[in-house]
Amino acid sequence: MRFTVHAGEIHALIGENGAGKSTTAAIAAGTLAPDAGTVTAIGTVGLVHQHFALIDRLTVWENIVLSREPRRGARIDRDAAIARVRALATEHGLAVDPLALVGTLPVAVKQRVELLRELAREPAVLVLDEPTAALAPVEIDAFFVTLRALAARGTAMLVITHKLREVIDHANGITVMRRGAIVSRREAATTDANELARDMVGGELPALAARTATVAGTCRIAIANLATEPGAGALRDATLHVDAGEIVGIAGIEGNGQTPLADALAGVIAYTGTIALDGIAMPPSVTPAQRLARGLRVIPQDRNREALVASWSIADNVALGAHGSRFARGGRYDRAAARTAASAIVRAYDVRSGSLDARTGELSGGNQQKIVVGRALAGNPAAIVAYQPTRGIDVGAGALVQSRLIEARNAGSAVLLISFELDEILALADRVLVLFGGRIVGAFAGTAIDRATLGALMAGAV
Amino acid sequence: MTLRARLGSLRDLGLAVAIALVVGSIAMLVAGVNPIVGFSSLLDGALGNRSELGETLIQTSALLFPALGIALAFRGGLFNIGAEGQLVLGGLAAGTIGADLHAPALVAIPAALLAGAIAGGLWGSIAGFLRARFGANEVIATLMLNVVAALLASYLVNNLLHDPAGQSSETALVLANAQLPVIVPGTRLTIAILLALAAAAIVRYVLAETIFGYELRATGEAPEAALRAGIDVRRTALLAMTWSGALAGIGGAVIVLGVLHRFNGQLSPGYGFVAIAVALVGRLDPLPITLAAFAFGILQSGAVSMQAEAGVPREIVAVVEGVVILALAGQRFLGARKSRVR
Repeated sequence: MRFTVHAGEIHALIGENGAGKSTTAAIAAGTLAPDAGTVTAIGTVGLVHQHFALIDRLTVWENIVLSREPRRGARIDRDAAIARVRALATEHGLAVDPLALVGTLPVAVKQRVELLRELAREPAVLVLDEPTAALAPVEIDAFFVTLRALAARGTAMLVITHKLREVIDHANGITVMRRGAIVSRREAATTDANELARDMVGGELPALAARTATVAGTCRIAIANLATEPGAGALRDATLHVDAGEIVGIAGIEGNGQTPLADALAGVIAYTGTIALDGIAMPPSVTPAQRLARGLRVIPQDRNREALVASWSIADNVALGAHGSRFARGGRYDRAAARTAASAIVRAYDVRSGSLDARTGELSGGNQQKIVVGRALAGNPAAIVAYQPTRGIDVGAGALVQSRLIEARNAGSAVLLISFELDEILALADRVLVLFGGRIVGAFAGTAIDRATLGALMAGAV
Repeated sequence: MTLRARLGSLRDLGLAVAIALVVGSIAMLVAGVNPIVGFSSLLDGALGNRSELGETLIQTSALLFPALGIALAFRGGLFNIGAEGQLVLGGLAAGTIGADLHAPALVAIPAALLAGAIAGGLWGSIAGFLRARFGANEVIATLMLNVVAALLASYLVNNLLHDPAGQSSETALVLANAQLPVIVPGTRLTIAILLALAAAAIVRYVLAETIFGYELRATGEAPEAALRAGIDVRRTALLAMTWSGALAGIGGAVIVLGVLHRFNGQLSPGYGFVAIAVALVGRLDPLPITLAAFAFGILQSGAVSMQAEAGVPREIVAVVEGVVILALAGQRFLGARKSRVR
């Protein structure tokens, strides 16, 4: 592959998960050696990581000057360092408190710290890997204003992302990657999201399943005044319900109570308030096993850690959760039944693997997620909590997962969709609730959803 | 496990043994002994004739029980360092019942073995309970319980349970009906080895085929996923430690009922610790563990004749065992590093 980023340009590198974007970024920034080929940069290259490479237990100034501390003898010149950070922040218009502990900062501020740390090295080229993944829409706009100002001073900017909207709004040139190679070069001014998506996928976007008319009004999940252990990102006072045959989307920026909400429903953390399923209360003492038996299925956010046993076969993973019921014969594990169920999921979800004995850890994220979703949706569950169901998977697998959720809704399941991707929520949800600071701060129904209002609510601007 | 992974772990094991042999040879050279003479007298002493092979199989059975227990706990994500203490208390309980219970062999032997299993199981369950209830680190708990077990056994055998007719620090002789029958005439080899092999088969079956084994493995490999799949991970931890301790306890029981015929301070030269190496070398899988127990049995029983015939200090064997463990741990560490860099 070959591409160039010019001084003063914000260049976007887009592509599906696994297309090779992050690898390209790491090679460009010099943290990974290429097997062949060269990277030429005029001046130094800075890399802003997708997952912040900050030390939570150090302060902002300590993080920024780390490894380049101004010294006075053998000691760090604290005053000089703080002054330097203040000057840098002012120069770039990035408001931070140098004395704050990084661990206590909101995500958007951490992002600024991460950016400042790279800017302190005065890079000629700045590579940003998914920089907006954890930002609210308004924060994203502000972030690109900063980038634009940097570009105006002559920095070349390579932004890696999968969010087409912000690419079109904020970039100059766009390079699209697919399966490790460049497939097209576009100009933001003359392209649109559909064209970019087709380039990324290599064809038309797969269509989602059609939603059929469902009878509203039968409440399946009822949550009232739900609160979890106080702390950053806790759930404070959430009240919501999901009816049979509807998808309710929880929109919000990561860290506003989504994880406690999913975990409380799964029954793996303590909570106050009430959760009821089909009218029957589920206090915290109701175990995850009992919740599964009652028809509540949670698709967790982190499939590798929370849903799958990586060293196990597809068949053994499909049994997980129903291993004590559907796949038990006496005290014996019924491996044959698990294989039958697994092959049904493999067929219905188009899981691409050599065999049912393939270890799930060796599958792609998309194929792993198909197994997790297939397992969760088996047997028409009463209620489904889908937390970031398409995170980190390719568009094709994502569309399939989304279609299956719609079909489950059509069949009468109550679906609670918790996602950080606003586009996903808008595409799937019958109703949208906004979660901010552990509370539901807004509700939108049907097609009357105003993106700008939604974005403002997500950022906490009520 | 795929064939490739199996071959890979065989290669790792071969490499570890090779390193251990090299280091052991160097140690022998330092001690002024020709390593070839040293190792051949070791092998000869362990396998040279029927009686020596019998002694090796006795060592094998003494190692296999605790190693299976350790593997069971390990597969459930728990590192049971306490097999030694569980084994000692199992031996004491079996010796006590075996000396006191006047019953036919068909009752006395199972009863004494069961007493060993219960004592070891209860001792293991303490660490399991602390882990399940308070999240206490089982490594530290079991390690400390070893000391408590040794002192408790010493107290009991010197006070409440000692042989009124014999010396202090030992229990009365196990009644003839409770002694394990010898299966090969001219040796001390008893049914203990058959029981150990049966235990290996049972552990394998439980792990691979039962719901309990499934839940245990899920808990060990992916505790968060297990929790969310409705598995009671605390109960699983408690059960894993209990069964682990029970197996180690039976290990102590077969030594007392089959070899020593009474409980005393000679019960274990550290079987519970060597068994950790056996379990790890056997990759926590009952069949290879059985082979590893035999290999370590050779080392244990050959050490004595090596010392007698070649003049090699028997501690060299401990060096060889230690190097095998270090080499395996090192490979695991290097493997983890490699995959992280990649």
